[in-house]
Amino acid sequence: MSVSDKTGSFARLGDPPRLTQSARRKLLLTVMPFAVLAGLVTAIAIANPNFLRPASLWTALDSAVPLMILAAGAMLVILCGGIDLSIAALASLASVLVAMWVPQLGGWVVPVVVVVCALAGALQGTIHVVAQIPSFLVTLGGLAVWSGIALVVSGASTIGVTGTALDWTFTRVTPWNIPSAVFIGAAVVLVFALVMNLTPVRRWLVAIGSSEPSALLAGLPVSQTKIVVFAVSGACAGFAGVMLVGRTFSGAPSLADSLLLPVVAAIVVGGTAITGGFGGIGRTVVGVLIITVLRVGLSVAGVDSSYEQIFYGVLVIAAVALTIDRSKLPFVK
Amino acid sequence: MNTQVQPPVLAVRELRKSFAETTALDGVTFEVRPHEVVGLIGENGAGKSTLLKTLIGLAQPDSGAIELRGERIRMRGIAQAGAAGIGMVFQEQSLIPNLTVAENILLVAEGGAVVGGVYRWRELKRRAQVQLDKIGSAIPVDAITETLSFADRQLVEIAKVLATEERTNAEPVVLLDEPTSVLDRDETELLFAQIERLRTRASVVFVSHRLDEVLRVSDRVYVLRNGRTVAECLPGDVDEATLRRLMIGRDLEGSHYDEESQRPAREAVRLSVRGLTVRDVCAGVDFDVHEGEVLGIAGVQGSGREELCRSIFGALSSRSESVTLEGRPLRMRSPRAAISADIGFVPAERRREGMVGTMSVAENITLPHIAEVCVGPLLQRGKERALADAWIERLRIRTPSASAPLGSLSGGNQQKAVLARWMVSESLRLLILDHPTRGLDVGAKTEVYQLIRELTASGVSVLLMADSLEELIAMSHRVLVMKDGHVTDVIDAPAGAKPAPLRVLERMV
Repeated sequence: MSVSDKTGSFARLGDPPRLTQSARRKLLLTVMPFAVLAGLVTAIAIANPNFLRPASLWTALDSAVPLMILAAGAMLVILCGGIDLSIAALASLASVLVAMWVPQLGGWVVPVVVVVCALAGALQGTIHVVAQIPSFLVTLGGLAVWSGIALVVSGASTIGVTGTALDWTFTRVTPWNIPSAVFIGAAVVLVFALVMNLTPVRRWLVAIGSSEPSALLAGLPVSQTKIVVFAVSGACAGFAGVMLVGRTFSGAPSLADSLLLPVVAAIVVGGTAITGGFGGIGRTVVGVLIITVLRVGLSVAGVDSSYEQIFYGVLVIAAVALTIDRSKLPFVK
Repeated sequence: MNTQVQPPVLAVRELRKSFAETTALDGVTFEVRPHEVVGLIGENGAGKSTLLKTLIGLAQPDSGAIELRGERIRMRGIAQAGAAGIGMVFQEQSLIPNLTVAENILLVAEGGAVVGGVYRWRELKRRAQVQLDKIGSAIPVDAITETLSFADRQLVEIAKVLATEERTNAEPVVLLDEPTSVLDRDETELLFAQIERLRTRASVVFVSHRLDEVLRVSDRVYVLRNGRTVAECLPGDVDEATLRRLMIGRDLEGSHYDEESQRPAREAVRLSVRGLTVRDVCAGVDFDVHEGEVLGIAGVQGSGREELCRSIFGALSSRSESVTLEGRPLRMRSPRAAISADIGFVPAERRREGMVGTMSVAENITLPHIAEVCVGPLLQRGKERALADAWIERLRIRTPSASAPLGSLSGGNQQKAVLARWMVSESLRLLILDHPTRGLDVGAKTEVYQLIRELTASGVSVLLMADSLEELIAMSHRVLVMKDGHVTDVIDAPAGAKPAPLRVLERMV
């Protein structure tokens, strides 16, 4: 008996009873992130009441914005059943391009880099769709390619940025001294929320992520949708790169690389199913907040930041273990 | 054959099994005696596959008993069933294609052929050869399995089941699930000879929908209907017609299909297909479908009818001399293109291809025609809700609300929602139905038949593939018969003068 055979029959046989199980899983996916967020905030507030002061809250939110923008784009890819591992590397490349081009282009560097990154994403999406290669592999390759290009064009060094072209990404807005990045992040989330809720886009992604054959036979433009989704993910990576340059005043070939794991962690911890077909921008916001609060919490608790990656890694595995819909997988590879 | 006096090797008593809203087994009782070949027949959905799954531990019965050599057993998996001496030869085959024959035969039962986790190839081959010798097969033990023909791989599976003999020191029970469905005539004869040979050292359960074959090879035949054993017959006492009646159940014939309301098709040709070829599957297929006509397509598995229908919907690439819809060339580029040409498709595997179970009834209904409930890029939820509610009422879809997930509904109601998604379009011209009543209960089937009648009365043309020939003939105006990728016949089936199933069957096989 081949393994696929056995489990395949099991999955089919078990289908109807699993419905209640899937309902339970959905509830878990919806309630848990909020509970975790509330728990974390409470814990940190007890450890250090200063955390609840507006100034520190705004700072925490400010620091969450690049993560938020990356996660928003990557969430779309996961929602339609794929994954984009190249986002952090692409954001690093974007930071290098911004730093290199800002002297010539000034403020125009932002749309130019975002479009370049969108094209990079669209290229990955097209390869994934046309050559029928798993998105995991295409974007893993992409990760290496974008990193490599960033290293080559930057000469493997950090490029400083002078001038005021990007000041708007990292300043404070009066009267309440709110970080401008928070508004930018909120605007991105708002655009996502509007598109997802007012247009049929969301259900297309859900249909493709839940059951691609059904989506195809219902006449959805599956290939085109996927390519667009990868392009949006790329554009978000580009924009996140811009935001990072704004706050570090430099571009570097590995500037954003460490963000990949927190982004994936934020998406799955927020309750978007890693297998696709379930999730959304609201959940991703909650997930990003969880990761941000966790990071702040760790530093409040005096944990060295070197440990952060360990936490993210464990978090991703734990969140997926708790929430994955195993009935959707013929077997786990 | 002096089997009556012997106690049964395998006895199944009052086996019951249900899934959420469907009862798959509702009291199955049967016995297999030593060296006996028992035939098991029933329509699709009669419970054959569930029964087989419970017998090899892939499903747990809710109640009832399975007794093996007088002992009640409970199997928690296929390995356990194998260890007890019950093995199945799967219809879709279960060998690992890139391993050698020897490895497959002894897979998970290597015993002394593996020492310290390392294969002893010579011993492995010797043991495998012993099994192949039992069935007198000349298949080389070191051949890579995927290089063998289907029939040969089937023999390897049989040898694999026989390998349990040494472990259990008892004669095994071999379950053959539709073993002849993809064999040609000669291969089938060889398999029958093999079954004769097999019975000298094993008991055999032969599951098939080919009644002539069942009558030929079986010592006794059990008929399953709606999850119950409804008859036990001796092949000498019955003919195919009797078996078929027992399978279908007398009470279901006639009005079930609402034959009286079949309106004659109109003159105008809706779809005209000339020289349609799908690579490796069907070649040079010609046919016409008229307005308001149900064209049934009959054919066994592998006849190419599924692929033919998929290619018209653009879900499979094909070549053709010409395919026209109402006189205009039809571009069969993608399902999307087909849908914009007002063609709809209801796939056989509803859960996998026909719907998105996690999405709501309303979302599923509007999915292919989302533009109807949008203004520009904006979704009009109120309009969508109203549309869904109207169809839920019109088709009497039993659902808590339009926003309930479609996957939570019963099969019949799911299928009605899937039909609704195509009926939503006022301009629907052609609906392709791939086994639209598969897995539905009798009541739901009747409702689907009525919907098909209503659709055709309003001028929609239908391409129909059905589970049973009776259903196909009763629902169709004409039956296109396919065999091995070619059209072998077109048989008229007007209301009141339906052809006999045998007339169609003759041209199918």
